[in-house]
Amino acid sequence: MDTEAAGDEWVDPVVAEYKKSVDRTLLRENLKLTVEQRFLRLMELQRFSEELRRAGRRREPKS
Amino acid sequence: MTDFAGLLRALVQAGVHFVVVGGAAATAHGSARLTLDLDIVYDRSPANLSRLVQALHELTPYLRGAPPGLPFRWDVETLEAGCNFTLTTSRGDLDLLGEITGGGGYEELAPHTISIELFGLDCLCLDLEKLIEVKRAAGRPKDLEVLAELEALREENGRATEH
Repeated sequence: MDTEAAGDEWVDPVVAEYKKSVDRTLLRENLKLTVEQRFLRLMELQRFSEELRRAGRRREPKS
Repeated sequence: MTDFAGLLRALVQAGVHFVVVGGAAATAHGSARLTLDLDIVYDRSPANLSRLVQALHELTPYLRGAPPGLPFRWDVETLEAGCNFTLTTSRGDLDLLGEITGGGGYEELAPHTISIELFGLDCLCLDLEKLIEVKRAAGRPKDLEVLAELEALREENGRATEH
């Protein structure tokens, strides 16, 4: 595996590639929140995720 | 649905010594990824095992994924006989870890924690540097994407303190 040095820290090329697609706007929004707010947002996301799963199960099969 | 407040309250009010790790720790640091359970590393001292048993007793913990009716006793002897337990409780899924790859157990992790305040509770959470280190040590393919986000968070934190 190719390695690239960035200062003293070895840079994993796979991680570096994934990092390009990280949505930093979401991270910056989260960093404005308190820890509690971040967990409340996570729980909202869990509820939404469960609702989407339920919707998927309820979907009528196409004839 | 995981009732993070309910789980943490049960642990903190019983005086359990633990460190929040995994996806919940990443959330505490600002991660935008969905995590469905609470992962903690717990102190395996005899006194803390007793506190842990008491803390979760009312939450009817059971082995996650095990067939219903499998005999599972929630007591100190069970905790002593094992190390890591993936549980389902009345407040959601909880992973009790005696140790984690690249991080060790509670005693090794404790110096690498921050105190977080949420839902009126004070808890210890793995700090971002150690969280990155243990994710790197875990080395699973699914951890690489998580690692990317954690490293991005570290960079964004660095940007925030510069300005």
